Amino acid sequence: MKKYQFIYSIIFSLITLPIFAQKDEGIISFERVVHYPKIIARLPYLSQEEKDRVKLTWGSDDEWKEKMKLAFSPNKSLYTYLNEQGESEDGTWAWRNDDLIITRDFEKEKKTEVIEMLGKTYIVDDSLHTPSWKVMNQIKDVAGYICMKAVTEDTIKKQKITAWFAGDIPVSAGPERYFGLPGAILELDVNDGDVVITATKVEFKKLEKELILPKSKGKKIKDIDYDNLLRNHIKDSIKSQRNPYWAIRY
Amino acid sequence: MKKAITLFLCLLGYGVVFAQVPTRINIKGTAIDSSNSVMPFATVMLLTPKDSTLVNFGRTDEKGAFEFRNVKNIGYLLKISSVGYLPLQQDVKPSDKAINDLGNLKLKPIAQELMEVVIRTAKAPLSIKGDTIEYNAASFKVPPGSTVEDLLRKLPGVQIDQEGNIKAQGQDVKKVTVDGKQFFGTDPKLATKNLPAEAITKIQVFNDKTEQSKVTGIDDGKKEKTMNLELKESFKKGGFGKVTVAGGTDQRGEFKGNYNKFDSKQQFAFIGNLNNTNQGGISWDDYQDFKGSSAFNWGDDADFGFSSGRRFIYFGEEDEGVSISPSGGGNRNRGFSTNGSAGLNYNYDTKKTKFTSSYYYNQSRTVLDSYAFRKTFLQNNESFDTRDSSNRVNFSGNHRVNLRFQKELDSLNTLIVISNSRFTDANNSYGSTQNYLRNSLLSSTTDIDNNGAKNSFGTVNSAIYRHKFKKKGRSFALSAGYNMNQADANARQISLNNFYNSTTVNEAIKNIRQLNNTNSITNQYKASALFVEPLSKKFFLETFYNTSLQISTVNRNVDSIFVKDEKETYGVVNELSRAYNNEIRYNRIGTSLRYSYKGLNLAGGLAWQHYLLKGEFINNKLTQAKGIVSRNFSAFAPNVSLNYDLKNNRYLYSEYNVSIQEPSVRDLQPIVDNSNPRYISEGNPNLLPQVTNSVSFGFNKFDPATFINLYTGFSYDTYKNQVIYNQTIDENLITRTKPVNITGGWSTGPYFGFGFPLKKTKATMNLNGNMFFSKNLTYINSVLNNTNNDNYNISMRLDLTPSDVFTFYGSASFGISNTKYSINTAQNQQVFNNNFGGEMNVKFPKGIYFNTKFNYRVYKNDRFGFDQKIPLMNMSVYKIVGKAQKAEIRFTAYDIFKRNLGVTQSASQNYVSQEQIQTLSRYFMLSFTYNMRGVKAQMRKRNSWD
Repeated sequence: MKKYQFIYSIIFSLITLPIFAQKDEGIISFERVVHYPKIIARLPYLSQEEKDRVKLTWGSDDEWKEKMKLAFSPNKSLYTYLNEQGESEDGTWAWRNDDLIITRDFEKEKKTEVIEMLGKTYIVDDSLHTPSWKVMNQIKDVAGYICMKAVTEDTIKKQKITAWFAGDIPVSAGPERYFGLPGAILELDVNDGDVVITATKVEFKKLEKELILPKSKGKKIKDIDYDNLLRNHIKDSIKSQRNPYWAIRY
Repeated sequence: MKKAITLFLCLLGYGVVFAQVPTRINIKGTAIDSSNSVMPFATVMLLTPKDSTLVNFGRTDEKGAFEFRNVKNIGYLLKISSVGYLPLQQDVKPSDKAINDLGNLKLKPIAQELMEVVIRTAKAPLSIKGDTIEYNAASFKVPPGSTVEDLLRKLPGVQIDQEGNIKAQGQDVKKVTVDGKQFFGTDPKLATKNLPAEAITKIQVFNDKTEQSKVTGIDDGKKEKTMNLELKESFKKGGFGKVTVAGGTDQRGEFKGNYNKFDSKQQFAFIGNLNNTNQGGISWDDYQDFKGSSAFNWGDDADFGFSSGRRFIYFGEEDEGVSISPSGGGNRNRGFSTNGSAGLNYNYDTKKTKFTSSYYYNQSRTVLDSYAFRKTFLQNNESFDTRDSSNRVNFSGNHRVNLRFQKELDSLNTLIVISNSRFTDANNSYGSTQNYLRNSLLSSTTDIDNNGAKNSFGTVNSAIYRHKFKKKGRSFALSAGYNMNQADANARQISLNNFYNSTTVNEAIKNIRQLNNTNSITNQYKASALFVEPLSKKFFLETFYNTSLQISTVNRNVDSIFVKDEKETYGVVNELSRAYNNEIRYNRIGTSLRYSYKGLNLAGGLAWQHYLLKGEFINNKLTQAKGIVSRNFSAFAPNVSLNYDLKNNRYLYSEYNVSIQEPSVRDLQPIVDNSNPRYISEGNPNLLPQVTNSVSFGFNKFDPATFINLYTGFSYDTYKNQVIYNQTIDENLITRTKPVNITGGWSTGPYFGFGFPLKKTKATMNLNGNMFFSKNLTYINSVLNNTNNDNYNISMRLDLTPSDVFTFYGSASFGISNTKYSINTAQNQQVFNNNFGGEMNVKFPKGIYFNTKFNYRVYKNDRFGFDQKIPLMNMSVYKIVGKAQKAEIRFTAYDIFKRNLGVTQSASQNYVSQEQIQTLSRYFMLSFTYNMRGVKAQMRKRNSWD
């Protein structure tokens, strides 16, 4: 609880200059790149020969890209697809995206996530559980912002998570299900490059509808149910020698 | 409540001065820069000193001050960061005062150069560990082939003089290490001059203790500048290979080997295979290992047309094709074959440019000894039987060269050039003894002794150019193609026919002794265009045009062989010799409207097709009598398709399609083929293209939570101008066939599949069924015969995978085929083909594995009392040996009961037949495999989707 007693919010939120006030609300566009051969290479039931075969066959066409967006304000955030449908590069082919809307309310410490996985739409309604971040000694530039490195771990999917957050954007929002750093997360690396989500554009503006969760239908669950669903699915799939990640987001 | 306690504790901390250490304190301080100015809005974090876990964070105010209130009084790592400054890190000890004032904390600016060049321009992450500065070398672009020295010249803060001496931050670099280890002695230049820049991922510069102090263990306080180069551990880099040698009883042997080497841009592969155990062809796995990134290519089809919303990978035809096509590894139950193959492949593969080249040679010699029975139905409820014992030896050697080049010229233009060629050298011999029986009485016999040889060359070339316009969704594509097929075949045909019902000697014995030579060449020129115009965000108009010209020339010379005094002389047979020219001009123009939105793809369109078929042939070489055929054919071909992603892994698709297929060159040739003197075929230059109307529908669903899957669908085809083979059977039971067009045939095939776990991860059941109904029309001795086929197949499979040491796969399939003949209703047939199978894998201790496969095939036709049951059992025991688990020794017993036989039975058109072929039977084999990447036991059948 005390993590959100931001000192600045107590001391400065009322008196800071307008130039700073503008810098905490807007939309960040992301590109999410998935490297399937790397994910397949992590499946424990495949032999080295089979993994190499996948690697060779995919060659340089090993990336799947999609565009995402994160709407943020000091108190709220909403993460979803940039477009309402998936499209081929030239726009002539379109497909349906799996439901995915991730919202955070930092003030009320609440979250609602609409996630389609395992052939169903779930609504995860729970209080906020902040990941345990470790802040590292590296800095780099992402989309024109100097970012610091922080790492954590997904204990369900056994993934190493690396986040690069911008101290200049003083909100705790981030892409996918990650948040809780002293600045907006502009790059998220899942498992050493298996999936990389990088900010392409940061736009500051006053938001209106962008932070409101549209009406969604789905099965209501809590974080603990969500974790159990994933844990069982991954366990069963690995045991059945199926790739679990065709049916859940990596 | 919690807040109240906090407040209380705060007041306690402020109000009362205790001698004891407070449990909660405030930590405050002020961030200043090197010129002592305050730093507002810097990020301040409290971390645990143990593993840098973030505990609390905040920001400095406009006076540079920060304060963490009411935090646990424990040790922290305080971190302050601000753009343009090195993050400051400071230990905070537990305090004995309620307010721990850290005073002024000074942040050092990051050197302008590092900031601009490393961070902003090269977008390289910068790590600061005490006095070590590290940056990612991969971000600095140097031309391929550059050394580390060239790379270092680009790095800020590093200077290199003419001799290659390195200075970092003004000081001489005394030592260069690679991955922390000394590289070839002490000269730092050795590493930097010799290592390729591409191999390096990180460069670190730091002050290290001198070698002397390291040796003595006494820190002399002297430090020397050291540079460490971290090598890239590339994901996409490697080399591997595999080799298997095996020897067995009956002189059976196998050799198989492959080697691959690849990095992120290039792939090289070699494959070789030699065996006499019926393993021809190239398996999917071997194909993928061999072709690598060029195994599957999208968008190689140069014949643009209707697009249904589903994407297909374009493969060439199998055996006769010009490109290498994977197969299941050949039918192991057909005769005896000796196979050999070898190939080389090279791929250059980047996002923008792809080039692939491969050479592949394969040869196969197959010996087929067969016994066949066939009952042929005639009009007036008559029929006759054929018993045929034959021996065939076929040899074929194919050289294939495949080339493909793809280049993204810029973001809007792409070019693909494909060239595939095949050269084949083949020969065969065919000997056969055929007995013809009418009402169980021998009516005639035929003995055949044929030999032939054929050389052929085929090449398929195409170029595709795609252009995207600036307007999103607007594009056009152009393609051009040239195909050529050339063949030169020679055959020597000898047959002796005895007709017992004949009255004269001349009629009773008919001998054929001939030599024939057929020379043919077909050239095809093609071009296509496609234009896509977006009408709105969801609607697209696609217009295409195809044109082609195909010219075939055939020259056939037939000579009779006369034997006199054991010497052969030859004479031209004018009635059988032909020269022939055929030309097909094809044009198609079409357009379709497509709707695409959120997984719903709907398209409807219409095409107009036109064929101009022209033939010119010389019937009789002596008289040079010419025949000319010229036919015009045109038709409208509509197309409607639907593809719908229904959410939750449910998909629906449906299509209505009219396809028009021109007659094959072989069917158009007015050539009499009497290589089997009892079955004489002749082409028909008057054939029209066949029009097929197809409707199809399908639905599938997969539930990833329960692993239940379901699919179902059907297709229905009707034929107009279907090409069928009319039969005329004379009183001597000689069959003459000729292709003609007929309208009225149809076929339909509903199918379903259902798979579900009986116990998740341990037992899975799969049920599949398909049916096939068709109506085929043929003229038998000028009487129209209507053959109706009803086929039912049902199969089930049970997968038991209870543990890592035991797996079992059981299957059963039942096939019934009913055939009804309108000309001879008394002969309606019912044929059964059933199959029962089981496979078991057991893992024993010490790396020993056992595998057994059992297959029980049942072939039945009650009308003929035909009942063939074949039990086939294979077993193998193998042990994975060596510390690194890279080798395997295997003992295999194949067909333990020695009962294997190739059997096929079928009923169609106007006959029912059974054929039995001698094939590979019991043998034992010992094999050794070495795999550089390790051998893995196959306890499980593989899922096809990973």
